[in-house]
Amino acid sequence: MPNWRWFSVFTVLILVLAACGDAGTSASAPDESDDPPASGSDASEPPASDGGTSGEPQTGGTLVFGAAGEISSLDPSLTSDGESFRLLQQVYEPLVDLVPGTVDELEGVLAESWTGEPDGTEYVFTLKEGVAFHDGEPFNAEAVKINFDRWQNFATEFHDGAYYYDAVMGGFGAENNIESVEATGDLEVTITLKEPSPTFLYGIALTPFSIVSPAALEATNADDPAASTFGTEVVQAGTGPFVLDEWISQDSATLSRNDEYHGEHTAYLDRLIIRPIPDPAARLQALEGGSLQGFDLINPTDRPAVDGVEGFQLINRESYNTFYLGINPTATEDSPLQEQAVRQAVAHAIDRDALIEAFYGGGGSAADFFLPPTSGWFDSVGADVPTYEFDPDGARELLEGAGFGEDNPPTVNFWFPTEVTRPYMPDPSGLHQAITTMLEDVGFVVEAGSAIWGTEYLPASAASSYDMFFLGWTGDYDDPSNWYGVHFGFSQGEAPGRFSCEAEGLEEAEAAADAVLEEGARGEAWNEVAKIVHEEVCFVTLVHGDTGVALTDAVQGYVANPTGSESFLDIWLSGE
Amino acid sequence: MAKFIIRRLLLLIPILLGLTLLIFVFTRLLPGDPATTILGERATPENLALVRESLGLDRPLHEQYFQYMGGLLQGDLGRSFITNQDVVNDFLQRFPATIELSVAAIIFAIAAGIPLGVYTAKRRGTWVDASGTVLSLIGISIPIFFLGLMLKWIFAIQFPILPDSGRIDLVDYFIPRVTNFMTVDALLAGEPGGFIDALRHLVLPALALGTIPLAIIMRITRASVIDVLNEDYVRTAHAKGLRESTVDGRHILRNALLPVVTVIGLQTGLLLGGAILTETIFSWGGVGRWIYDAVRTRDYQIIQSGVLMLALIFVLVNLVVDISYAFLNPRIRHS
Repeated sequence: MPNWRWFSVFTVLILVLAACGDAGTSASAPDESDDPPASGSDASEPPASDGGTSGEPQTGGTLVFGAAGEISSLDPSLTSDGESFRLLQQVYEPLVDLVPGTVDELEGVLAESWTGEPDGTEYVFTLKEGVAFHDGEPFNAEAVKINFDRWQNFATEFHDGAYYYDAVMGGFGAENNIESVEATGDLEVTITLKEPSPTFLYGIALTPFSIVSPAALEATNADDPAASTFGTEVVQAGTGPFVLDEWISQDSATLSRNDEYHGEHTAYLDRLIIRPIPDPAARLQALEGGSLQGFDLINPTDRPAVDGVEGFQLINRESYNTFYLGINPTATEDSPLQEQAVRQAVAHAIDRDALIEAFYGGGGSAADFFLPPTSGWFDSVGADVPTYEFDPDGARELLEGAGFGEDNPPTVNFWFPTEVTRPYMPDPSGLHQAITTMLEDVGFVVEAGSAIWGTEYLPASAASSYDMFFLGWTGDYDDPSNWYGVHFGFSQGEAPGRFSCEAEGLEEAEAAADAVLEEGARGEAWNEVAKIVHEEVCFVTLVHGDTGVALTDAVQGYVANPTGSESFLDIWLSGE
Repeated sequence: MAKFIIRRLLLLIPILLGLTLLIFVFTRLLPGDPATTILGERATPENLALVRESLGLDRPLHEQYFQYMGGLLQGDLGRSFITNQDVVNDFLQRFPATIELSVAAIIFAIAAGIPLGVYTAKRRGTWVDASGTVLSLIGISIPIFFLGLMLKWIFAIQFPILPDSGRIDLVDYFIPRVTNFMTVDALLAGEPGGFIDALRHLVLPALALGTIPLAIIMRITRASVIDVLNEDYVRTAHAKGLRESTVDGRHILRNALLPVVTVIGLQTGLLLGGAILTETIFSWGGVGRWIYDAVRTRDYQIIQSGVLMLALIFVLVNLVVDISYAFLNPRIRHS
């Protein structure tokens, strides 16, 4: 029976392959501490299994980390998304950066120190001595100047990619806010702005402002849109704790320790491998299957699968985002939402804590106003802002007072996006169902609508087509202008499109707040804006959603930052 | 024969031209465009207009098409709208991964499908045959994504004997990518352990991708063998006292194989479609996942050129199958 025999051979082959594996995968298994101790090393050494969350960092090992998506470019200045930042900030560094775990404290990275005030226009950076790029070229003031000049003079083809330079500096070329960038010493750079900018330092702490080796820029024709290979090929051009060895799009990026790193210590990990796996369920499976030792953005409902489960740990990343319900009183003619009382009724009808329990796995906080509690401006901007407790009876009374009742209920259309989840919005359709029920409970008639996120929903919501819709925001840097300013800023006297909020005095308050530079007064000025926006209920802020990083319990030293800006410099593996 | 091949190759030109138009129109029919993907929450009508202009998406459709065709005729398949990577480079970097997976899947399908088909055919009407038929029906109708997830859940998580995703254990093996065939690269790097590990990573995705062709090959083989079993020359061979294996190999299988080869050829082409799902489930960095992501982000350039290249390969595979007929069966003459 030769055919049967071939089949048997084939089956055996598969079984053999499966059996071969045990040797191969054991290195990545999380429970290495179960191995019998090597003979001879007993009481004198601390047992590895004690290593939990304490103990001295150990050097060595490879960490495979699952990311939620592919990077968009290898050129840091042309990226604006979290996945690109995650990879590139291990390799490249800006002059200053956020202190790990904070959103509003800065520390020098490539700059040893700096002078400059929020209401001033001159910043002098003293650079660190003895820093070299990964290609061996020295880091100095001239290199910083070349990078700043490069960004300012970007060809128009690069302008879309250089979103953050555009946003922080107010455009490109001679018209933006940069007066001059001068190398005023071998290790001293003086940057002069045209107008004071209180967000300047936070802006240049972002990954797109990383300083890149000028020699590498030249070698890769980085400034020629047609010929540049800087964003697409692996180039040694950074100063960071890791060197990029290999990048295979949609497969993996392999980084190894930079043994010449200029920081207090070099990275503990020998190698860091980042694998993009877009589906969160697949990331969790890969962690459980042992091919990842950690991944970001766990599905909130999957938190119990790792939180407190043996062999795994969950690092909670406090929210730096806000999920909100946008309101457009002018989207439909004679919309009941034109009445302030009706908008207030919407705000009172929603039980935010119930949403957090049901959809965020308990990880999050109710959003009384736009800024998350992690923001340094939370107290000053949020002082005395009108808030809307969950109060269905109050909501019904408001509707009654506005002339609505069972015979003529207020009817609104209410939209949610499909084919998307965001850290602030884990389950759009479920959240929509829950909030619809809450609104109907106080007397609204809701016409539900859904549209595909990237293709239909975003443009339509931007064009004010929906009465009510879901959206959210993740902060770029810690300043109230990045929250209220982005959403309620007036451009050339036009009311902001997304909310068609025509609150009296908003435009003046906004303009005034933007001009105040002194920190205390700035908080108060933006507080005025916040009061108007929430008094008028231009939108209803709902939830600040936490996100989570799932790790095996061998991974130590992971410090989550609300902005997602996280270095792997201090991460180590126990039991390696 | 040469004439036949030349004619088929010439026929490719109108087919591919028609395809470019079809794909171009289909991608533009999808709601939305790459500008919204690039901007995300920052999409305002003004921003969208700016990005569309810089991508050339504000120009009339026929202009966009002719510009694309102009590049195509000069061998320029364009650059990704999102990453600005050269599409041909992207494709060539990923295609070996897809071939590796497809070859593994088709080997599995043939190696298991043909023997199973012969086995059930020779036991026609018994319970073995009946259960084989039922199993093959299930195999044909089970969705790949479901099968993939189940295989992963059972063999990588509940009973972790095989890896859950990826192409090699990245912790244990650092294999420089030379050919991008992981098995080959592991051997080139002098890592026999890496070779075995790459094979292990192939098992689950190949099972998921190979199950449908396996079931089809098994059914066709069974039907074809049953036909041949009733032929006089098989009875004669048995009567001559030939060994069972000789009759099976030399007289039954060789004559029953022609329809099977047709099916194998067709299935090989169709695997490229199944690869899109399999690669997505198993985080396999091949062409399938690349195109899947491009559809999701509306990266027109990748969809257009990527699908075009896949179509070209599909047509070429079919041509090779047609040519192979002549060798298997001298009665068929291409003229």
